[in-house]
Amino acid sequence: MSRKPPRPETLAERWQLRAPERQLLLWALVAITLGFLMLLGANPKDGLPVRWMDFLPLLALAVSFSAAHLVFSLLGFRGDQVILAVTALLCGIGLLAQYRMGVFTGEQVGALAYLVLPAGVALMTAAAAVCMNGRYRLAAPAQWFWALLSLGLVGLLLATGQRFRGGVYAAGFITPTEPLKLTVVLFAAAFIDHHVKALSKWPGPIPLPPLRALWPLLAFVALLLGLLLWQRDLGMIAILSLTLLALLLAGTRQPGYLIYGALIAGAAAYALLGLFAHGQRRIAVWSEPFQDPTGSGWQILQGLSGMYAGGLWGEGFGQARPSYTPIAESDFIYAVIAEELGFAGSVLLLAFFVILIARLYTIAARAKSPFGMLVATGIATVIATQTFLNVGGVTKLIPLTGITLPFISHGGSSLLTAFLVLGLVLAISDGEPKPVRSRPAAKRASSGRSAKPGRRARSRPASAR
Amino acid sequence: MELLNTLFQSAPWGALRTGLHIVFLLLLVYLLKQIWDLRPVTGLKHLAKPRAGFGLVVAGIGLLLIGVLAYQATWQLSGTARPDFVAFMQSHDRRQFNPAHWIQRGRILDHRGRVLAQTREVAGPSDTEAQRWYPYGPGFAHVVGYADPRFGTSGMESAANVSLNGGTPESLREWGQLGRQLITGGKRPKGRDLVLTLDAELQTLAYRRLAGRPGAVVMLVPADGAVRVLTSSPSFDPNRVDGLLFSGPDPDARLLNRATAGLYPPGSTFKVVLAAQSLDRGQEPVLSCPGDGFTTSRRYPKIRDHEYYSARRAGRAWGGFGRIGLARALAKSSNVYFAQLGVLQGHAAFQQTIERFLFNSRVVLTEGLSGRQLMRTGRIPRIATSDQYGLAQASIGQGQVLVTPAHMALITAAIANDGVAMRPRLTPDEPVQVLGRMLGAHSAARLRQMMRQVVSGGTARGIDVPEIAIAGKTGTAQNPKGEPHSWFIAFAPADRPRLAVAVLVEHAGYGSAVAAPIARDLLLAARERGLL
Repeated sequence: MSRKPPRPETLAERWQLRAPERQLLLWALVAITLGFLMLLGANPKDGLPVRWMDFLPLLALAVSFSAAHLVFSLLGFRGDQVILAVTALLCGIGLLAQYRMGVFTGEQVGALAYLVLPAGVALMTAAAAVCMNGRYRLAAPAQWFWALLSLGLVGLLLATGQRFRGGVYAAGFITPTEPLKLTVVLFAAAFIDHHVKALSKWPGPIPLPPLRALWPLLAFVALLLGLLLWQRDLGMIAILSLTLLALLLAGTRQPGYLIYGALIAGAAAYALLGLFAHGQRRIAVWSEPFQDPTGSGWQILQGLSGMYAGGLWGEGFGQARPSYTPIAESDFIYAVIAEELGFAGSVLLLAFFVILIARLYTIAARAKSPFGMLVATGIATVIATQTFLNVGGVTKLIPLTGITLPFISHGGSSLLTAFLVLGLVLAISDGEPKPVRSRPAAKRASSGRSAKPGRRARSRPASAR
Repeated sequence: MELLNTLFQSAPWGALRTGLHIVFLLLLVYLLKQIWDLRPVTGLKHLAKPRAGFGLVVAGIGLLLIGVLAYQATWQLSGTARPDFVAFMQSHDRRQFNPAHWIQRGRILDHRGRVLAQTREVAGPSDTEAQRWYPYGPGFAHVVGYADPRFGTSGMESAANVSLNGGTPESLREWGQLGRQLITGGKRPKGRDLVLTLDAELQTLAYRRLAGRPGAVVMLVPADGAVRVLTSSPSFDPNRVDGLLFSGPDPDARLLNRATAGLYPPGSTFKVVLAAQSLDRGQEPVLSCPGDGFTTSRRYPKIRDHEYYSARRAGRAWGGFGRIGLARALAKSSNVYFAQLGVLQGHAAFQQTIERFLFNSRVVLTEGLSGRQLMRTGRIPRIATSDQYGLAQASIGQGQVLVTPAHMALITAAIANDGVAMRPRLTPDEPVQVLGRMLGAHSAARLRQMMRQVVSGGTARGIDVPEIAIAGKTGTAQNPKGEPHSWFIAFAPADRPRLAVAVLVEHAGYGSAVAAPIARDLLLAARERGLL
């Protein structure tokens, strides 16, 4: 049984509490600095002398993550110590690869390019600070607000959107659907938390889900996914449906949801591919890239060619020629890293992703309130799905979905959203001040659920003490 | 900043940069180790005890990503094993450091080491470029194929693409080599040479003797199936493959390999199959062959012998061969005899025979890592038992019977090899395989005597030479599109055959006049080169 340490009082104690995070963050920044030296060392070769300005992205990264660490230390934040350093490392590698692709060196680079990352870190820190100490639970009663916000975001896109490369983007290539990853998770988590008892009860000899309790969620999902489908945002649909399934499963522990979900997903995927030329083309490129190697297969094959050229160890940052892969700085950033750092580099990169995902799921597993568990599960699933869809797509294991690689890909809305959700999970990992007093949770505790008594019995006294 | 710029441009920076690269990767590993070591303090113990099941989910995601990496490795590390991919990179990847560009594609050699295809360095617009060079040109274009950045690969260049490009490691030594290359990054794949069973000089002679006329020549070693000649005419120059070859209809069908895929009526060469059928049944019947021919029903025109027509053209009458046996019928190529023989022995026997002779199937000539080359065998639809006339026509190699030159060569080789058909193979490394027994050993011996008589005193006596005892069978195959096809199948020496050959020249008239001399010259040339 864990003894809950009170929040440290003195500044020295608080500084001491975050020591592991400081150590990890320091080494991550050292690694990224070395990477930057390696990268900039290639510049004079290309005839461009190195300027102070070139260190600006590195500086922004180091300062913003250090600031986040300082804020956590000052607040006596008790939450996860690994995530910040791992995120800094991932962002750093992403920065190196983006810098490599000329994101910071072009003619019309605005201040925006430099500001996205610090803004994201600030957003994460703020989210963690605001929601820590159990305050994140205030989001639960507002479940229908999140639902309306989700639909509103999609509506906004439909109103202002313009078509580009087979997808819909709002003005300035901002994708307002990115925050869906947060709002949908919040709504579904709150809804499932609220109705968990009804949702866990599968009646009858024929195992059918409790439709009476489920229908508001189903209606919302059908409406949302329908709107997304209209915009052909197949990647987002995949992420959100998988996340919803994970939430239902984690909340109710009913494997039936998984079975029905798999059936529906299979049928829907089959039907969709029959309907959408956009999807069909992607499947065709995936299964037969050599049918049209200089046309539709060009991007994926150039990415793979770069990987092959990179080999086991890679050529090093700044040495390879990843620019031959079209729009590599966003969706195909993984191919750039695999080309420049080699197979070894991609193994390490994915190892850090596994650590990040494992931390997120650990927070979910240990979260005190069921709502916190659900939110963390949802966010972890979003990040995991996104990672797999992107990396699998670039390596041609699965069809391309046009999903960005979290924290690595160049992008505004997706990066900010990723930081925001990370801040929320960090807040959950901080724990709660006093016994959970939220109304439905207390009720459930007294009624005692039949589904998994052991789990609840174990977790309840810890928080009730 | 000045200092940095000087450092980056200094000489040792290259080595230093490699060092940085290694240190960077090592730092990442070190960071992983620290995260592992810090587990006791980062365990989030102040929260609740972990719920069950989440560990499993993380393990599942980890496995999924390991799967991604494993698949990625099949491109990134062993991409050489994907022939399409290597071809794509060779033609479309502008990265100078891509190892695919350094691949020194292996040569293709004939059985005596003469070069059929090799890669040459030629001066390109910007850099030296590798260019595939085929010294023997069009005569080998179908079987050797081409490797062109724009049009891909064909023939052996396609079937053996993987091993020509460096190949997949097959032996322990090569695995070790690959491992070292991976660690040092010094991937410099060198293609492996490919040796074929073909004979460059004989094949060149065969192609030259076809002289641009549509036709094909196939020569096999009966005992082991080695293909010495496989040429098809007209052909194209593999050194100058262009888009015109592939676009639009080509009246000459230059891309068609007539030797392995062209279907032709075999005419009288098919009589050896009927003779084999009869000998296997222990029958050498003496049949009456009247001058004005034979038919199964009054409704159908009579099947007559060649002599009938030449006599009529000369204004004379011809009394027929009279009562003759199998040997004389084969030597004289009597249509009347074989039509009667086929009908006499019936549909069941005929059906059984064409199955034994491997009609209506495909035979693998070579099986490479990245593809294979096939030959078609002849095509004979099932003849209805009520259709006696169809059977009579089929028995003399007309009507619905079609064969490929390669199939006729295979049948000839089987007769020469005591009745056993060996799988034709294009590379000496492939195992010697028995395709099946086409006829009995005794029947084969007797048939060889008969075929010798065709040359010594029958329809092919024009090509009889003192140097070698050639045995063979002529064919003059009627077809709906014009002059008859000229066929000749032969083996030599007649008593102990070491080579079997089939020659076809489309619409060239008598087999004895056009195809037979080509076969004779090839066998004589083979004798000069010690192949007989």
